[in-house]
Amino acid sequence: MIKLDRRAFIGGSATALGTLAFGAPTVLGQGKPRVVVIGGGAGGATAAKYIAKDASGIEVTLVEPAKQFITCFHSNLVLGGYKKMDAITHTYDRLASAYGIKLNHQAAVSIDRDRKQVKLADGSVLDYDRLVVSPGIDLKYDSVPGWGLAHEETMPHGWKAGRQTEVLKARLDAVPDGGVIVMIAPPNPYRCPPGPYERVSMMAHTLKAAGKSKAKIIILDPKDAFSKQGVFQEGWEKHYPGMVEWINAKIYDGIKSVDPKTNTVVTGFESYTNAALVNVIPAQMAGAIARDAGLANDSGFCPIDPASMKSAKDANIYVVGDACIPGDMPKSAFSANSQAKVAALMVRGELAKTPTFPARYTNTCWSLIETDDTIKVGGRYEAKDGKITAVETFVSKPGETAQVRKETSTENIGWYSGITADMFS
Amino acid sequence: MPGFRRASRLFAALLATAAGAANAHAADIAFGQYLAGECVTCHRADGQDKGIPSIVGWPADQFLAVLKSYKDKDRPNVVMQTIAAKFSEDEMAALAAYYASQPAKK
Repeated sequence: MIKLDRRAFIGGSATALGTLAFGAPTVLGQGKPRVVVIGGGAGGATAAKYIAKDASGIEVTLVEPAKQFITCFHSNLVLGGYKKMDAITHTYDRLASAYGIKLNHQAAVSIDRDRKQVKLADGSVLDYDRLVVSPGIDLKYDSVPGWGLAHEETMPHGWKAGRQTEVLKARLDAVPDGGVIVMIAPPNPYRCPPGPYERVSMMAHTLKAAGKSKAKIIILDPKDAFSKQGVFQEGWEKHYPGMVEWINAKIYDGIKSVDPKTNTVVTGFESYTNAALVNVIPAQMAGAIARDAGLANDSGFCPIDPASMKSAKDANIYVVGDACIPGDMPKSAFSANSQAKVAALMVRGELAKTPTFPARYTNTCWSLIETDDTIKVGGRYEAKDGKITAVETFVSKPGETAQVRKETSTENIGWYSGITADMFS
Repeated sequence: MPGFRRASRLFAALLATAAGAANAHAADIAFGQYLAGECVTCHRADGQDKGIPSIVGWPADQFLAVLKSYKDKDRPNVVMQTIAAKFSEDEMAALAAYYASQPAKK
């Protein structure tokens, strides 16, 4: 276990403490050091704030085309009717007003790593001393035969929050009693490992609450096992008996094709025709800007130095959040937030000469199964054996009391409030 | 590591003698503020309780006692047990000093 101590913090130099307390950093060269952050989600917004905060003396520009950020986390709760869209919608105003971050609401189109420049959609460029890349995921539109970008409305994925959340919700609400929902679950690695199974829970909750308990949800899963499987399946049996069927690839032998016109899914085992809703969650990869810049490897995601979140491909670039390869950490908002704070610490260390410490990471993912019944999984992580390695982990246990699950539900709501305040205020 | 702790206390004591107790305390608070980056993902920095209790403005002794009871796995919340497990005595003291220095939620 890595132990930091106070001497290391205050003893580094008197300047270090002065910097932290009074914001008088040493800067590189004449002007302020410049950091560009690409992506305003849990990774990027957090990184921008933690690099800029306490008058670090670093000029931070956040490049994010959207003026509002709709969190993918808790979008399942919108599906289940527990939250409204506006409750998961946030603005960047405070990042500008409270921390002096420059907001640039454009898409970043390319990175010139030699010139250390980011090119924006309008053709302008931003120079950087350090770049934080946090674009999230892109969907692999060619990973499910017969399905693609053109079929997002007919067979929604709902894996990027916003319009897709609303489409999926409307389709779910229209499922008749006795209707069949087919979810095509994604292969590893993907954003939010428990997400598909929380979503199934929210679908079942919505159907049951509407008196449609004869409806059925079929999960076609390329994986042999999934996050929090035991407690999810226990919850489905308890709350939604007969409504959820999980089938793994050994049984269904692969998705042979889907037909969005007839809502048909053909597998090597069974076919489902005239499904009331087909939810295709395709395979995923790092956002295009990261891949196009050569920051990803063959996996489609970006390798990093586990001790710093620095790109393994470029010493001036950090990659955080869903786009990186985070070792034992799952791709989650909590993970992205945690990684972003490590990256911010290291960026400040490099550009403002503030003290740095061994990287430590934390994650927890909460999932709602039914009202007052929430489960969680999480752990703490350190750089070890060349990757971010789990040091200690936990997961909710089957048979926990209703009281524990209710407290966990409250914790989940509290966490959302906490992390979004941490990102945006 | 008791040696480290002793050295740290000695260092703090020297600091206190040389530059006044206020500086040592300020160092604790500054270090605690850095460490608190981990807490604020769940415990809102503004002290509002929206489902996870506020820890802003807690007396240092109480803060330390509660954190230690999670570290020792006496208090039952696996998230907090896991978070607290890694903190050294110095880190817990710094966190306690930082949070005690923050005005409690108005």
